[in-house]
Amino acid sequence: MESLPYAIETVNLTKRYGIFTALSRLNLRVEKSVVYGLLGPNGAGKTTLIKLLLGLLKPTEGDAYVLGERMPDKDILSEVGYMPQDTALYLNLTVRQNIELYGEIFGLSKKRITERTEELLGFINLEKWKDELVSNLSGGMKHRVSLACSMVHSPQLLLLDEPTVGIDPELRASFWDYFGLIKEKGVTILLTTHYMDEAARCDKVGLLRQGNLIAEGTPEEIIRISNTKSLEEAFLIFAKRNART
Amino acid sequence: MSVRRTLSIARRTFRELRNDKRTLALMFVAPVIAMFVFGIAFSGDVRDVRVVVVNDDKGFRDPGTNITVSISKDIISNLKDDILTLEYVEDVEDGIHRVENGEAYGVIIFPKHFTRDLYKRIRNPSFLKNAIIKVKLDKSNVNVANAIIKNVSDAVIETMRKAGSESPIILDTDNPIYGENAEFMDFFVPGIMSYVVFFLTALLTLITFVGERTSGNLERLLSTPLKEAEIVFGYAIAFSIIGTLQTIILLAIGITVFNIMIVGNIILAFVVIALLAIVSLSLGILLSSLAKREAQAIQFLPFIVLPTFLLAGIFWPLEAIPSWIRPASYLIPPTYSVNACRSVMLRGWGLEKIWTDIAALVGFASVFLIAAIWSLKRKA
Ligand SMILES: Nc1ncnc2c1ncn2[C@@H]1O[C@H](COP(=O)(O)OP(=O)(O)OP(=O)(O)O)[C@@H](O)[C@H]1O
Ligand SMILES: [Mg+2]
Repeated sequence: MESLPYAIETVNLTKRYGIFTALSRLNLRVEKSVVYGLLGPNGAGKTTLIKLLLGLLKPTEGDAYVLGERMPDKDILSEVGYMPQDTALYLNLTVRQNIELYGEIFGLSKKRITERTEELLGFINLEKWKDELVSNLSGGMKHRVSLACSMVHSPQLLLLDEPTVGIDPELRASFWDYFGLIKEKGVTILLTTHYMDEAARCDKVGLLRQGNLIAEGTPEEIIRISNTKSLEEAFLIFAKRNART
Repeated sequence: MSVRRTLSIARRTFRELRNDKRTLALMFVAPVIAMFVFGIAFSGDVRDVRVVVVNDDKGFRDPGTNITVSISKDIISNLKDDILTLEYVEDVEDGIHRVENGEAYGVIIFPKHFTRDLYKRIRNPSFLKNAIIKVKLDKSNVNVANAIIKNVSDAVIETMRKAGSESPIILDTDNPIYGENAEFMDFFVPGIMSYVVFFLTALLTLITFVGERTSGNLERLLSTPLKEAEIVFGYAIAFSIIGTLQTIILLAIGITVFNIMIVGNIILAFVVIALLAIVSLSLGILLSSLAKREAQAIQFLPFIVLPTFLLAGIFWPLEAIPSWIRPASYLIPPTYSVNACRSVMLRGWGLEKIWTDIAALVGFASVFLIAAIWSLKRKA
């Protein structure tokens, strides 16, 4: 498995809801040990793609491969961490209990769960709040707990759906430092974002629009091909060009 | 199936409950309140029942002593005035009218020759006419009706005992006396155990599971190696333990406060209730897949509560349910647990005699569990 070049590969992956096509014949390849940024307007199909990768949705056509396994595959999910777009947490559990729950589900030892929980509490900067019920946290704090839950088992692949929404700039910067750090250790990260400065920090970005991947490349490549000065302008140009065709 | 993962779901349920005092209170205070409210309301400890008396009895002049006696007055004076509130009218029609208007629950009628017939009958056993007290009842409330009948017959027996004679008086009621009130709680506790566990488990799983779905927690759980069956079994472990705890509380109150009798092996009753809890939580999970929001889920509750309340034999025996609708009773899982718990607690029956009920519950549990797991596996 280690020798396989791609962390994620989709082949003609298609998802339709009735006659509406949310994702159209997507062929995506994400190499290992990169940070891949998925961009696109609301309703472009970003969340749909992530759920298809996890086997939470059934593709209408095509296939998705995660870490070399064809989805759906329950076993490979032990190597995947998922942070949903909505802060899916148990409000009646404390911060620590939420993180520990996922440690238990992923089958970590008691000792390892305690270690990882301490580490992650430091990373999301919520040590002081660890015994507080999640229902008493602010929106951004909940988001941070949610991120920690998706990383407790040190997965090889992280699928993060808008991980930095509502997070203050200081913490956002430290998240990105951390993403860079775990990437160096071989972790692959696919994340969605609406922030251009974050897109610029990705190794590779893909622009999704109405279920189609309309542009892909390193941030520099995207800027170069579109003959613009910034990613933001580049994406506007791609969107216009795509709307015409 | 991983036992560890399954247990992690069960443990989470307990941790959540521990942090959520309101739900915890619902789970353990509601059964107690239900038991007292229903127990007292149905127990037939009836007081202050308004009853109309029509006394047409002319009395009887004893030819020997030349004294006029009236046995009807003696009987009336022996009625307990804390239970029956008496009101006298002249006319039978008038009395019946009062009952029809809901101003009284019954009319006690002493006919014109009541005392005379009674004397003749006592002195001459070949005298064929009986002394009759007519009691016309509002039958809408069985407990009240029973209380009136019991009180009148007690008063008759008391009167005749003082007179040193056997009672040849006939109580004419168009309503048969059934069930001794003293034993109501014995009959009732095994029923209310099932009712409380069935209802509260379905309620809590339904609400929790709609929450799991809408919050995104369910999807998050399913994005891990955790399997659908492990989630359902985790819930099953948690809720059968909670159901057993609720039963222990109800039994403790039943024994200490209401003095109920338990003849058989109570462990069997716990097994039955745990099975019922599993049926109920599967039903809750199934229904949750039909609801998009918690408010929608609440709308399903009458479908669980009402048939169980009316048809499962909790408050009155199955025999008292119209026979044409009785087949429906056998489609309701609590019917079997009520029957099994009663058989164990009141008749002292063992597994060899209640196995049909247990088999029915195991059947319901298996079908519902599989359906619940299937409902989680279904993907868009
Ligand atoms: N269950 C569903 N039934 C019908 N349509 C759906 C369903 N789920 C998603 N869609 C549609 O699919 C499209 C893609 O949705 P998706 O959530 O993937 O967008 P997104 O790119 O994540 O958007 P956002 O940036 O707002 O998160 C949307 O138009 C949405 O309305
Ligand atoms: Mg989305």
